[in-house]
Amino acid sequence: MSCKNLTYSYPAADPTTVPPALDRVSFDVRAGEYVGVLGPNGGGKSTLVRLLNGLLRTDSGRVRVAGLDPAAQPFEVRERLGVLFQNPENGLVAPFVEDDVAFGLENLGVPRDRMRERVAQAIRAVGLAGYERREPHTLSGGEKQRVALAGLLAVEPEILVLDEPTSMLDAAGRREVLEHIHALKGDRTVLHVTHHLEEVLDADRVLVLNAGRLVADVAPERLISDADLLRENRLILPTTLRLALELGLSPAKLRTPEDLAAAVRGRTGKGTGVR
Amino acid sequence: MRLELRDVRHVYALGTPFEVAALRGVSLGVEPGEILAIVGGTGSGKSTLIQHLNLLLEPTSGEVLVDGADARTLNRGELRRRVGLVFQFPEAALFAPTFAEDVAFAPRRMDLDEDEVESRVRDALRTLGAERLAQRSPFSLSGGERRRVAISGVLAMRPEVLVLDEPTAGLDPATREELLGVIRALRDGGGTVVFVSHELDEVAEVADRVCVLERGSIRASGKPAEVFYAEESAHAPATVRAALLLARCYPEVGRPVSFDETLATIRGVLEGSR
Repeated sequence: MSCKNLTYSYPAADPTTVPPALDRVSFDVRAGEYVGVLGPNGGGKSTLVRLLNGLLRTDSGRVRVAGLDPAAQPFEVRERLGVLFQNPENGLVAPFVEDDVAFGLENLGVPRDRMRERVAQAIRAVGLAGYERREPHTLSGGEKQRVALAGLLAVEPEILVLDEPTSMLDAAGRREVLEHIHALKGDRTVLHVTHHLEEVLDADRVLVLNAGRLVADVAPERLISDADLLRENRLILPTTLRLALELGLSPAKLRTPEDLAAAVRGRTGKGTGVR
Repeated sequence: MRLELRDVRHVYALGTPFEVAALRGVSLGVEPGEILAIVGGTGSGKSTLIQHLNLLLEPTSGEVLVDGADARTLNRGELRRRVGLVFQFPEAALFAPTFAEDVAFAPRRMDLDEDEVESRVRDALRTLGAERLAQRSPFSLSGGERRRVAISGVLAMRPEVLVLDEPTAGLDPATREELLGVIRALRDGGGTVVFVSHELDEVAEVADRVCVLERGSIRASGKPAEVFYAEESAHAPATVRAALLLARCYPEVGRPVSFDETLATIRGVLEGSR
């Protein structure tokens, strides 16, 4: 994916009073990278997603996805770039899980045998084997979002764009969806948009969008140790990391409360044995 | 005002093949001046429960009591003014050309004179830190800003109890913190707040009491420390999970819940070992 001086404004009665939703944004994502996208509400994250899959057309600047212009060739781009949206309820259409997962393939005219194979494989990849004949409305939020993810994986896009994929889920649903998303790291190119910093701590890079500008393109370790950058972009570290920083423990390798407890024990000399 | 649900059952599509029991005998009080958090997985009955607090949904059996009186005997409009309900993603219902007009919609229907309407709109927007947005169009602003205005619209009715369904979902972290500050300020000003949340870390920061729902029944309810330290640690906030692990080596850790309590406790452990 490559964006150069990307600029987009939503239609307005008086465009001079409303700043652009994206303002001269440039970045590249190489094949196989896992890139997080963070930033405040209204920063331009969702606009970027819509430009990448051709739902919106740029005012100026250039977008390329696998070498293609999404606005000119939206269908070709959508075979290569799949988007997982926030609310799984909005995307599930078929009476049974396997039909839903097959929906994208049907539209692409994939032969039946090949389709069966790819659907079964995608359902296994999200840990829903055995759910093929379940009705989507009987599933939990996390399960629905995994069905939606399977539907994307079945199309075998090179690139996955995840637009706040866990924000409508409960804690258990979030954990199960994240587990399957993080398993894609290294396998596909992933752009993961989120408000939850902890979800992209293991990303290769994070982009920060604020008021339409790309204000940072850094490694997650750099972001979490830059208090000014966090504050200016309305980001707050997750509880575990905030506790670690306040206690003078290095946050770099800390992810979970278990890691924090281990670090405290290490500091007090009770680091070995008891757990 | 004290609200009480007494053995409330709610069955959707009763008497059809699609019958679903969403609440299976829930008894719960909402005390004046408290912040009560309702937590639980998807489909546990949280949204169904809160819609009983102003009788938007009526119990299939059981009772809703308002200061001891059966809520069904009260005027519904009056009840819904006193118990203000903010739905999930309330910004989806904004409709007026400016935010100020949107917020004025409910108070205008309460037979108030125009000065009073204006003062309520101003107060409500100020409480949410949204005064500067008053003359803007709802379509020109971000999700977080629209959320504030949508909540102001309910506050302008001056409800005694404010009920919020996942008020922080989809908001950036700083906006989320600001909204939690608003919830605290409402309680400190004598109001009562009931809110639904998936974010246990935020519940740990603001709730006076927590009610955990599971499949339409109350699994636990009480003070945050009582509830979270009795849950499996996967259902506890990060602070409690860290404290539980540390308490195995350091009994002095006790049962902190909020960030500040937990920080102070762990500091004590680190200093004590020097």
